[in-house]
Amino acid sequence: MPSAVDIAAFDASVCAREDQEIFRVEHATFSYLERFPALNDVSLTVRRGEKVALLGANGCGKSTLLKVLDGLLFADRGSFHAFGAEVTEANLEDEQFNEGFRTRVGFVFQNSDAQVFSPTVREEIAFGPLNLGLSIDATQQRVHDVMRMLEISDLAERAPYQLSGGQKKRVAIASVLAMNPEVLLFDEPTAALDPRTQSWLIDLILELNQSGKTIIIATHDLATLDVLADRCVVFSEDHQIVADGPPGTILRDTELLISVNLLHDHAHDHGSTSHTHPHDESHHDSHREH
Amino acid sequence: MSTAALAPEWLTAREIALCPCGCIGKRRKANFVEKTIIGAANVLKQAMFSADVASQPGLLQRIQPAVKVVTMLALLMATAVVRHLSILVALYAATLAIAVASGLPLWFFVKRVWLFIPIFTGVIVVPATLNLITPGRVVIPLGTWFGHSVGVTAQGLTSAGLIVARVATSISLVVLLTLTTPWNKLLAALRTMRVPKMFVLVLGMAYRYIFYLLETVTDMYTARKSRTANHRNNTSSGRAFVAATAGATFGKAHALSIEVHDAMVARGYTGNARSIDHFQIVKRDVVWVLACSVTIAATLGVNYALGS
Ligand SMILES: Nc1ncnc2c1ncn2[C@@H]1O[C@H](COP(=O)(O)OP(=O)(O)O)[C@@H](O)[C@H]1O
Ligand SMILES: [Mg+2]
Repeated sequence: MPSAVDIAAFDASVCAREDQEIFRVEHATFSYLERFPALNDVSLTVRRGEKVALLGANGCGKSTLLKVLDGLLFADRGSFHAFGAEVTEANLEDEQFNEGFRTRVGFVFQNSDAQVFSPTVREEIAFGPLNLGLSIDATQQRVHDVMRMLEISDLAERAPYQLSGGQKKRVAIASVLAMNPEVLLFDEPTAALDPRTQSWLIDLILELNQSGKTIIIATHDLATLDVLADRCVVFSEDHQIVADGPPGTILRDTELLISVNLLHDHAHDHGSTSHTHPHDESHHDSHREH
Repeated sequence: MSTAALAPEWLTAREIALCPCGCIGKRRKANFVEKTIIGAANVLKQAMFSADVASQPGLLQRIQPAVKVVTMLALLMATAVVRHLSILVALYAATLAIAVASGLPLWFFVKRVWLFIPIFTGVIVVPATLNLITPGRVVIPLGTWFGHSVGVTAQGLTSAGLIVARVATSISLVVLLTLTTPWNKLLAALRTMRVPKMFVLVLGMAYRYIFYLLETVTDMYTARKSRTANHRNNTSSGRAFVAATAGATFGKAHALSIEVHDAMVARGYTGNARSIDHFQIVKRDVVWVLACSVTIAATLGVNYALGS
């Protein structure tokens, strides 16, 4: 099985300089339809090779920030720089800039159904590389490699509507990896996956990070946080960043987690018992939903 | 957990579920909503079946989709100009032979074609056999109507036969094409035939998301059904459900289309769809084209020779 390292070798231009700043968001404010606030004066810097978790309750603006980082939404106020250049709607209309940016940033959407839109899995994975100007032969090679790596070679000719949720997720990830991006954005990647697929995905993300990819994950799952991230950015429910630090520190700050609605009093109250069973998704949900 | 403290009382009380004497409720017939949903599920099954047939090895499955589209169109046009029942019957027999050579179950193929025919032709054909519309020699007298004698005429029967045979042959050709060509190959074929990319892309997505929306509707209905205990006023609540579902589905479709567009842009889409498939015409395709050309020439020749 080719490892993530082979995938990294696709692109010779991967720059190995450590500590290099790749994303800089400054005072970004965004509202949907100028009415529904989603980001409120958000500033964030991401360096090469980091594993950043965007942490926050539902509706706090994680997905919106990811879309800003992927150049799909543009802040009403504030700015966004990527790889040293400002990313604006106008800049992205430049073909070369667009191609450069899209090749370097990959986005795995929360809803795989939206992301897997081609008639077959093979064409789905080929979509990105072809759009970014790769030749048919090079694309076919990448499709082949990525399918082997994610163990979906036998699904090549299947239609997306014939796939299970876990398989769709794999295809969605494959379709992004085929472009060999430097930065990978994941929107709640482990939500709605069975435990086996979840742990497979976590291993994959770690492997990708070790091969030099920068990882940004939106999540409200505290259980996997200390494995998946080396930095946590916490959102409050009024769409602001209220904390930024290593997961150990953030997870111990119960007061903070309660204030942003990621932890409920109950979990704190019988704190001793809440550590005897895993912090799984349903557990947290049951605490939130009343 | 202490949710019980906040829950209303009825939630914690037990409902009377099944009465101890077992099933004494009236049986209920499936209403139109249910039938529609079953229909949706069937569409899914059919699509799977078609995909299976299309991937079997067989005569037509081996022909390039683009070649198939063109030859089938030519055959369709030839069928449209034929004015003799005997030629049409021969062409229909040929479609049956091709179906068998392509590994289609013959009975399934025949059924699929003839199921369509009453809808398409019944309205036109039945009155056309009567002497009121097609004057001629009455072979089956049916009585009198306002003093005129009414009956089925020989000429009427011939023209009805012509219509039915032509429709049957045409539908057979279309069914042959669609059953032996995977949908995505068909789209790719259209793309190579210089049909605008945008059109093909939209067609492909429509097909893909029909399944997503069908699933959504099926899920919504299943969810509703599991909540339905009382079946009084079935039809009107069913209608309300359809209206509400249509609304919700439309909303979902809209939100989904925005997401899909974002996902495409994120992977470098700027309005040009490119395809990984490139087609090559091989000897087999040439032979097929020749065979079709000969058939078409023979059809037109015989049709001309027999006169009108
Ligand atoms: N398409 C949209 N139209 C209007 N409001 C939206 C839309 N998408 C998200 N929002 C609103 O923006 C806020 C942030 O949403 P989102 O970024 O999706 O949060 P998260 O991903 O953290 O759950 C929420 O209050 C949500 O209601
Ligand atoms: Mg979200």
